Amino acid sequence: MGTGNSRRVRSALAACALSGTLLAGAALGPGTAYATGSAASAASAPSGQGETTLRVKMSGSGIDTLNPFLAFFDGAYDVFAAIYPTLNSLDEQGRPGPYLAESWTQSDDKLTWTFTIRDGLKWSDGTPLTAEDAAWTLDLIMKDPVAGTANGSLVSNFASVTAPDATTLVIKTKEPQANVTYVSVPRSGIPIVPKHVWEPLAGKLKDVKNDTFPLVGYGPWTLTDHKPEQYAKFDANKDFVLGRPGFDHMVQQSFKSVDAAVAALRSGQLDYINGVNPTQFKALQADKSLLTIQEVGNGWTGLEINHNARTRTGKKIGTGHPALGDPVVRHAIALATDRKTLVDKVRDGMAVVGAGYLPPAWPQWSWKPAAGEETPFDLDQANKILDDAGYTKGGDGVRVDPKSGKPLELRLGIHADDTDDAGISNYLKGWLETIGIKLKIQTLSMSALNSDLAKGDWDLLMDGWTTGPDPTFLLGIQTCAALPKDDGTAGNTDSFFCDEKYDELFNKQRTTFDQDERARIVGEMQSILYKADVNQMHFNANTLDVVRTDTVTGMIIGQPDAQGMYPAQSYSFWGYLKAAPATAKVTAAKEESGGGALWIGGLVLLVIVVGGGIALKRRSTADDRE
Amino acid sequence: MSAATHTPAALDVPRHHAFGRFCRAYAKRPAGLAGLGLLVAFGVLALAAPLFIGDDQLNVIKVDGPQLSPPVDGYPLGTDQAGRSVLLLVIWGARESLSIGLIATALTVVLGSAVGLLAGHYQGWVGKVLMHVTDWFIALPSLPLAISLSAVLGQGAASITIAIAVTSWTATARLVRAQTLAVEARPFIERAKVLGAGNTQIMIRHVLPNVMPLILVSSTLTVASAILSEATLTFLGLGDPTGVTWGSMLQAALMGGAVTAGAWWYLMPPGIAILVVVLGFTLVGRAVEHVLNPRMVTR
Repeated sequence: MGTGNSRRVRSALAACALSGTLLAGAALGPGTAYATGSAASAASAPSGQGETTLRVKMSGSGIDTLNPFLAFFDGAYDVFAAIYPTLNSLDEQGRPGPYLAESWTQSDDKLTWTFTIRDGLKWSDGTPLTAEDAAWTLDLIMKDPVAGTANGSLVSNFASVTAPDATTLVIKTKEPQANVTYVSVPRSGIPIVPKHVWEPLAGKLKDVKNDTFPLVGYGPWTLTDHKPEQYAKFDANKDFVLGRPGFDHMVQQSFKSVDAAVAALRSGQLDYINGVNPTQFKALQADKSLLTIQEVGNGWTGLEINHNARTRTGKKIGTGHPALGDPVVRHAIALATDRKTLVDKVRDGMAVVGAGYLPPAWPQWSWKPAAGEETPFDLDQANKILDDAGYTKGGDGVRVDPKSGKPLELRLGIHADDTDDAGISNYLKGWLETIGIKLKIQTLSMSALNSDLAKGDWDLLMDGWTTGPDPTFLLGIQTCAALPKDDGTAGNTDSFFCDEKYDELFNKQRTTFDQDERARIVGEMQSILYKADVNQMHFNANTLDVVRTDTVTGMIIGQPDAQGMYPAQSYSFWGYLKAAPATAKVTAAKEESGGGALWIGGLVLLVIVVGGGIALKRRSTADDRE
Repeated sequence: MSAATHTPAALDVPRHHAFGRFCRAYAKRPAGLAGLGLLVAFGVLALAAPLFIGDDQLNVIKVDGPQLSPPVDGYPLGTDQAGRSVLLLVIWGARESLSIGLIATALTVVLGSAVGLLAGHYQGWVGKVLMHVTDWFIALPSLPLAISLSAVLGQGAASITIAIAVTSWTATARLVRAQTLAVEARPFIERAKVLGAGNTQIMIRHVLPNVMPLILVSSTLTVASAILSEATLTFLGLGDPTGVTWGSMLQAALMGGAVTAGAWWYLMPPGIAILVVVLGFTLVGRAVEHVLNPRMVTR
């Protein structure tokens, strides 16, 4: 994964399962037919004589819109990182560095930030790029609710943004804010857009598709073409201020299934995939022409418990099971979850057992429960505390809540397109059954899941978030301010968590400029979350990447640690920028020995899916055949 | 034969003869017998599965096999990602796959026959309205409709069954209506009317027994496509994610990257099982069709 704050990329696959397009991708994925259909366009990308093209898999979410004020999908953020500038860049450790801003200073009262903007930069249409563009963009997001759709929360503490001259940008904040240099960074922050292009559109932002190519922007790349659900094509910006891209062109190719992308990668039609699953990773490790790397996980996968859904004024909402308000039941669920087994069986060992709320990719914030405070895996203990609290087992082995008289039958919502979720739910069902809690698994699409979440119509949910180096956003979705209003609007709460002490610490960390002190506060917040058992972290999955070594070099950023783990890759910015063509070209793409079996497997799938389609269709024409 | 139950006792004797004749004619069709053999084998395995497959072998928290391993000792068809035996999963999967297929077919046949019979008998506006509704359902693309239905009804076996039934009753309805029209044109129906038989009596006592063989043939073939549709829908992720069916096995294999890993032992068995059962129902259906359809008698 990249470095954005995002709920995992799950929506796209669910959507295509519903529209039936998965059929095509899934059925043909094993062979190469599907891959060639679309990858042919990648191979014939506009590379003239001797020109080079970097071919990468587009984020599984795809691009929801190219309008940077409205976009939410990972795929769109990858594109914006390539084509729009930001004030700061992020280095390997996730520290802010120069980009548009050469340098920055704070006033003594910590309320005014002054950025010095580079001189002499030009948008891709030749218009000068100045501090005025940045000021206008940030100001619009602050003042226009439509413009603030995607990134409004990042500037909620800004009082004003002005550009006294072409190379000076002044940001004044209402309260001191430690993370101003993270507000406009590639991918997870606000992209700066050209004022002269967007000013006439400001009144009707909702309808702007931003699809006249080539798009006017500034970045390592210029977007020259985009076909939804197919590809995005880019030309390199040879004068890019942070270095010239190693390739002349780039194509981001959309694939409906990762297996199809893997087939394209193996046959040499693709150069890089970010995010394969552990089974695919292991299979690809044997391939000599591929480099497989594991990144330290920048997100978590876990269970959320609807312990007490309510609005900001305390009005109860939703249909959550009342027994989940009891900390004993929540702790029993935590005791009955064997995180180590989940890491071993669901992620094939390629994950870190979860505990703290912030992922290991950003070690400055990582927190672990003190010795003796960890929740172990102990089914007997879980049974015991439930017995002691009066949850007696009924005749069918399911415990009954003594207060409400309702049996402990809980709904568990999982994402339709996530294999980790499906795997974990199987184990949870088994473990909870042994402690007398019955689970009913509900597979939901991303949008159904989100709407249920906001209404509180759930008991348990599998969820996952990734985050960039600044923890404010992720910590923020657990504050009381994130609860919905009485009318059900607003609020991006993740589990209806609301704790006074936590909120106090949240505000304190935001205004704490001393790094160590801030880390201590953030650790205390994670301790509160851990003890509440409302967000139970299962694991932090390593991100698994594959890159062809015969066509690309320099793509992977940083050095592996002692365990062979690479730092979290900001691939869509630094990776694509630093990638260069490999000199030694190996032409023949080897087929794996399992190729024959794969074809047969693919054929079987084809027979079933196409056969199913024909069978369904056949009935409608049965009378013609009579 | 179910048809016999609707006929007066006096007719029972010749009907029994007819059944014997049917059996003898069927026995002469080797393809039909082979299909029947396959179905009996799978049926017995599915019914007997609880006798030799325990919770310990299917529950992910209790199994301890190697993960995604090719066939080895003790696991003749290898294992899945949780370490469960693929052989046992395929056998267990037969239960759900077959029961969804059969129940969906029963629903299809009841719904389709009722609509067809009513539309054929009441040829006035009732029949017109019913046939227009049928036409409307025929015009709807089946797979997207089935997918949206199971999405609306919520995941699980019940909604898949309903989705299959709702999208597949139209063929039976048209078939039954056509046959009803043919039967009602015969003189004995006119005689019955003259003797004072009411609508219900004509439909249930006289028309239905004559339409029954056709319904039987059509339903045998419907089972085959219902099982295939079930596999398709669960493969697309619309089934119970913790349930074991052939379609969900294929889905889990595909989603888990078994294709890239070359795990043929995970993909092939459920696929072949679907193939064999569908083939079995088709062979039986064709054989019954040949035996019952007078126009096919010579072949």
